[in-house]
Amino acid sequence: MKIFLLLVLFSGIGFLLIDNLRFLSNSGFSLGAATHYYVTQGFEQTGALNLVSSILYDFRAFDSLGESTVIFAAVSGIVSLLSRKTLPVSSHGLSIIVKRIFGILTPFLFVSGIYLILHGHLSPGGGFQGGVILGTISIVFCIVYGSSFDYTRYSPQSKTILEVSGALLFLAMGIIGIFLEGFFLANWFSSPERLGKLLTPGSIFGINLGVGIKIGAGLSIIFYSIIQKRIEGK
Amino acid sequence: MRLSFLLPLLIVLPLLTAFLIPLIDILAIALRKILVIISISLELVFSLSLLFYFSPLGKEKLPISYYLGGWEPPLGISLSLNHLGLIFSMLVSVSLFLITLYSLEYIEHHEGKYYVLLFVVLGAMQGVVLTNDLFNLYVFIELLTVASTPLVAFDRTSSAIEAGIKYIVYGLLGGLFFFIGIVLIYLSLGTLSLAEIALSFSSLPIPFQETVLIFFIISLTIKLGIFPFHFWLAKAHSSAPAPISALLSGVMLKLYLCVFLRLFWVVLDFPLMEASWLKSFVLYLALGSSLLGHLFAFQEEDLKRLLAFSSVGHIGIIVAVLLVNTPEALYGGMLHIINHLIMKSALFLDSGYFLQFTKSHLIKDLKGVFHYNRYLFASFVIVVLAMIGIPPLNGFFSKWYMLLAFVEEGIHLGGIVVILGSLLAIPYYFRVISYGISPCEEKPVVSLSQDPPPASLMIFTILALVVLTVVTGIFYFCLNPILDGAVQELLPLQIYPPFPGGS
Repeated sequence: MKIFLLLVLFSGIGFLLIDNLRFLSNSGFSLGAATHYYVTQGFEQTGALNLVSSILYDFRAFDSLGESTVIFAAVSGIVSLLSRKTLPVSSHGLSIIVKRIFGILTPFLFVSGIYLILHGHLSPGGGFQGGVILGTISIVFCIVYGSSFDYTRYSPQSKTILEVSGALLFLAMGIIGIFLEGFFLANWFSSPERLGKLLTPGSIFGINLGVGIKIGAGLSIIFYSIIQKRIEGK
Repeated sequence: MRLSFLLPLLIVLPLLTAFLIPLIDILAIALRKILVIISISLELVFSLSLLFYFSPLGKEKLPISYYLGGWEPPLGISLSLNHLGLIFSMLVSVSLFLITLYSLEYIEHHEGKYYVLLFVVLGAMQGVVLTNDLFNLYVFIELLTVASTPLVAFDRTSSAIEAGIKYIVYGLLGGLFFFIGIVLIYLSLGTLSLAEIALSFSSLPIPFQETVLIFFIISLTIKLGIFPFHFWLAKAHSSAPAPISALLSGVMLKLYLCVFLRLFWVVLDFPLMEASWLKSFVLYLALGSSLLGHLFAFQEEDLKRLLAFSSVGHIGIIVAVLLVNTPEALYGGMLHIINHLIMKSALFLDSGYFLQFTKSHLIKDLKGVFHYNRYLFASFVIVVLAMIGIPPLNGFFSKWYMLLAFVEEGIHLGGIVVILGSLLAIPYYFRVISYGISPCEEKPVVSLSQDPPPASLMIFTILALVVLTVVTGIFYFCLNPILDGAVQELLPLQIYPPFPGGS
């Protein structure tokens, strides 16, 4: 009965959507004044060659603050629900061949993550994407070298400090904007005339860095909370 | 407008606190309590200063807006405050202030993460109230859902975890429909600013407008727990810790009502909704949901589930009365939003105090709780009387205005549901009270020699809410200037007649 009702509901919704998308594609998608402005003026106004970055971290930076706070809240929630203080006894990881190969590969992974974060305003990429790659490194450590490898070297406290400092860096960029430009999250020190240099976009650079650190550390914390295990009998 | 800097501050201050708490936990754990108290007090002061400057008593005029990053809409995101936002912003900060004080003594494990999530929820709530951008609204609604889920499952029992999973699945489903609505609007209008959408939405073809309305209605029906989607609500609201139940049932549902009011009255085309079948469909659905909520509460054996189902009943009647869309109806609905927030928070916090002493949440286990703290039990009785609608207390006046609004528009079923709701509430609340004051034959479960946890802050917050119940009852007309402003914003000016509620 329930399934039947759900089917009716979803097929009705699907029909509505298809019907209206047909109308939209007939009448043409409307590109508002904002889209036009982003495409023509985006670089001059923000100094970010990558227009996606200019929208994410300058025009609509407040959305990104909300989105990165979603991940922050998810990390806190998962830690508070799953934290059990004990790791399962470390497996010994994979074979020596894999260990050696990842010994060579991991620095490159790290560099590509950092590159995506630092060049987020010039080329495709940005804080979210680069941060995810940084987060993967600690997952690779766990799979290849055994679960205690990363855990004994980098304590959860240090990861939390990293995560929080990324979030605070984001907010600091916004608050400096109040003092220099008069608005929260205003882009300060953007200099599009220095095209091709690293530091053209002002606060977008700092926000990218903050988001990258926060996402990387946050994902790593989530992963290590999930693989923790309760000791039997406690 | 020099004061407009308060708007981003109201959102950023709680987020900043949430980011600082993990750091404080590592560096100096003793400072956490001080940080929490300072931050929540500052938030309260900022929010009340808005009232001081912008209410009809103050000098400055509403609405005000703040352009984030200096980009005017439609380029960037703007925040704005009008009378409706003023009411909800103050309600959020006052109730969160009391709930945080209560939590300081109630929560006993994982306090650090608890306050992180509570402050994220506070920031998201202020964001939902203040933002003037459709996608930003969606971001804050999602933030609200994600941050409150771990709080629902905070007790980590299997039923709490199950409630948390249900809560997040239905929350995200509601968010999904909201998102589809946003996509349709952005594809057709090319803008996300609420003000611009309000200007050009009625230029779209009518079937398309109706589709968008349907998606937003489904989304908010899920979020508000109206009839076909009411079941997740009782489970989530009853398995959470007491302050979180008060947060969800008292504050968060009202916040979705704020979204409901802003979307359908200010942004989307209300005349269209009034002309089509959608309005009366949602109205009667909400009325049915209200009746069902009270009936479920009537046969419920568990105190917290009873309170949660009573919330379903009250939310249903508020949605129905708002949809009547006359000045009287909007006035009555908003008055009931304020009153129900105060009463339901008080009931959940009060029952949280007494349920510490009992074996389970079942009503029959409440035998004799009266003896633990007679004054608090008396306050419980006062709030219950207000909930039922006994004259000098606040529930009476809002129910009276809702009744009048229904009868004047000839929707007699609405009037019947208001009265039936009150009549059904009498037996189910009095069952709780009679078990509470009946003498217990056996020894109490938690013996009194085992000293009860320190509870001065808990008692203070409950008494503050009870005082608010009485004060907003006797002096309900003091709210008129602000409510009047909010009603004027919701109605097109030409059909606005002289106001019924005095002032």
